[in-house]
Amino acid sequence: MSLRLNDLVVSHAGKVLVETAQLDFQPGKPVTIIGESGSGKSLLAHAIMGTLPHNLKAQGSLVVDGHVYDVSDQANRRRLWGRTMSLLPQEPVLALDPTMRTRDQVAEGAPTFRTDKQGSRRAADALLTSLGLTHASTAFPHTLSGGMAQRVAFAAATIGGAPVLIADEPSKGLDQRARAELAELLRSHINSGGILLTITHDLDLARELGGELLVMKDAHVVEKGAAGEVLTNPAHPYTRRLLAAEPSQWRHQWMRNTDGIERADGAVGGSIESSGTVLVSGAGLGKSFGGQELFTDLSLEVRAGERVALSGPSGSGKTTLGNVLLRLLPPDAGTVQHSDLLQRGRLQKLYQDPALAFPARVSLAESLGDVVHRHGLDHTRLEELMDSLRLAPELLRRRPGQVSGGELQRIAIIRSMLLEPVLMFADEPTSRLDLITQEETMMCLMEQVDKLECALVLVTHDDALAAAVTTRTIALGTPSSVTVPELELSAP
Amino acid sequence: MTNAVAMQELLPAPARDSKRSKWLADRTVMQLVSAALLAVLVIFAVAGPLIWPDHAVQDLSRFLEAPGASEPLGRDHLGRSVVARLAHATQLSLVMAVLCVIAALLFGSLAGIAAAWRGGWVDSLLHGLSEVFIALPALLVVLVVSAIANGDLWTLCLGLALAQWVEYFRMVRARSGLVLAGPAVEAAALLQLGPVHIIRRHLLPELRPLLTTMATFGLGSAILALSTLGFVGIGVRPPTPELGLMITEAFPFYHEAPWMALAPVLVLTTILIGLLGLRSKESQA
Repeated sequence: MSLRLNDLVVSHAGKVLVETAQLDFQPGKPVTIIGESGSGKSLLAHAIMGTLPHNLKAQGSLVVDGHVYDVSDQANRRRLWGRTMSLLPQEPVLALDPTMRTRDQVAEGAPTFRTDKQGSRRAADALLTSLGLTHASTAFPHTLSGGMAQRVAFAAATIGGAPVLIADEPSKGLDQRARAELAELLRSHINSGGILLTITHDLDLARELGGELLVMKDAHVVEKGAAGEVLTNPAHPYTRRLLAAEPSQWRHQWMRNTDGIERADGAVGGSIESSGTVLVSGAGLGKSFGGQELFTDLSLEVRAGERVALSGPSGSGKTTLGNVLLRLLPPDAGTVQHSDLLQRGRLQKLYQDPALAFPARVSLAESLGDVVHRHGLDHTRLEELMDSLRLAPELLRRRPGQVSGGELQRIAIIRSMLLEPVLMFADEPTSRLDLITQEETMMCLMEQVDKLECALVLVTHDDALAAAVTTRTIALGTPSSVTVPELELSAP
Repeated sequence: MTNAVAMQELLPAPARDSKRSKWLADRTVMQLVSAALLAVLVIFAVAGPLIWPDHAVQDLSRFLEAPGASEPLGRDHLGRSVVARLAHATQLSLVMAVLCVIAALLFGSLAGIAAAWRGGWVDSLLHGLSEVFIALPALLVVLVVSAIANGDLWTLCLGLALAQWVEYFRMVRARSGLVLAGPAVEAAALLQLGPVHIIRRHLLPELRPLLTTMATFGLGSAILALSTLGFVGIGVRPPTPELGLMITEAFPFYHEAPWMALAPVLVLTTILIGLLGLRSKESQA
């Protein structure tokens, strides 16, 4: 088995979107492409599969086991799909058919599906069982967690026995445990002699997979080499920039728990915690969802100026606990007290998907204008904030759907900061963004938080991000039990 | 999915140009033709009664006269001008249908928003009421109301609105419920933005495409319901000209004077096809 891609060029209306020289893929040696959104890495995968959008032009050739395929003709690789090459698409929850049970959709990919429906269903069941999904074989996709949906998609992609597997952003939105399971799955594909191409912006996943690493920026491969080598000794400035964008590498003025970084005002951060007034206090909180207990008898306080993380795997009730603390949801047991300081909009929230946090059919200028108008603010404050968060004022003329995720999240930050909040609740604000955009967005948020000395409650499943941004972590455990109900300080 | 993502990355939507040219560019040929057809009908309904005011003047000597230069659609069995009657009937149908759709839409959407917003007993009450109306066939409601009304136009209109408001109520309630439960409205509440902002920025923009589509179809069904009632002799009473009534009256003379029946049928068909064509492209609801 061998796969080689020669001189691929993908372009749209004369603009080159992907340009690569020869790429070789060998069984047992994973190839990973990293780069930020829009660098063309997904298009590379689609060019190999022959699933590019129709208005894109592709040139080059693909050699599969000695057969040469012209990349510009998309249809010539159709018969390879599922048997020789398969694609693990982005966002498995959306890629799965919502009206089909998981076993049936996995069975559709089996080589014998046309001739032996029962047999392929049995094969699908066997595969799902080997992936630890026995109980999910008759479930519909919307009932699955992100990690489970990813494994179902993996089963559907691999049941045809395709030796070439292309995984497009497989770890997007997954927590650490689900990501570790995913890496395990992808490694099993390599160990059984398959060819693996992974497209990701997740450096941890790239590290776990090893093999060869390509770094893409602006349609070109800027660096290429063994994963370990590239990730420890980056040669290209862009790769260095990418590595520095990992939360564990952050060094910023607003960070409180970094050793040796003097703040501009000379004070060493990290001492406000115990002295501030209590903004929110919850006592004996309990909440369950559909018979599943998320947390019980949980007591906690958030003080002015402090930075707290709510962490834990997906489904552990982090967001629910946050909403209970914000009094957006009533707890099943216990009480939540708010300080008077939080009156009049001094308590704000950032959402995981900013596109849903704005009215979809009106321009951003109108949405933000209402906030300015309602609170009798000066319009120049909005302009100042736009400027200090490095956003062009023209962006406001667009609707939420016409702005990129990172920019929209920054506009959401501006909207909250207009009211000079005392407590900011950020619900996974960057979990859908790539590393560089994540750093940019968090910097915008934290500069404002630091300036206003506002308290921050950050919900995240990324421990490195929690450690970089906050000084205290409240960890929620598995969905069935809270393992660490007491508060623990992660700062030294 | 991934293709859609790629496309979005490639083609960031340009800022909007002038509204008018965009409106034209977004229409299909079918929609433009339908709009033109409807425009012709509206002109006929507005100008027709002014050009041919005497729809009730009988001249039995010109009974069943064929279309000619002086009478474009001939005369009916009582020697009345068919084109005059048709113009008045078209006007009546359009005005009644518009009034009835406006009434149904206003009441239905306000009730829908109220039910979704307040929930609790308001929701239960309105929802229960809508269930009652949905259980009754629409024409039966109109029949009962018009039997009470005995040919009064306003009551007939009210009856039609009563039969139609449920659709608006149910759609608006369902859609508003989704919008009001969403994070955007939660964020608006945290920003202390009041009900005016929520209605103006969140609800109305979300409901507008839905309501225009429903109103277009509602207009068609109201016109059809009116003429159905006229046809079976319950709605508008003679001698008032009405499309359905005119068809009934023309039936006995179908062989001698086919134009008499054909004229109202053509007008009805044009209205319905025009309304359908106007919404032929899937609206962005």
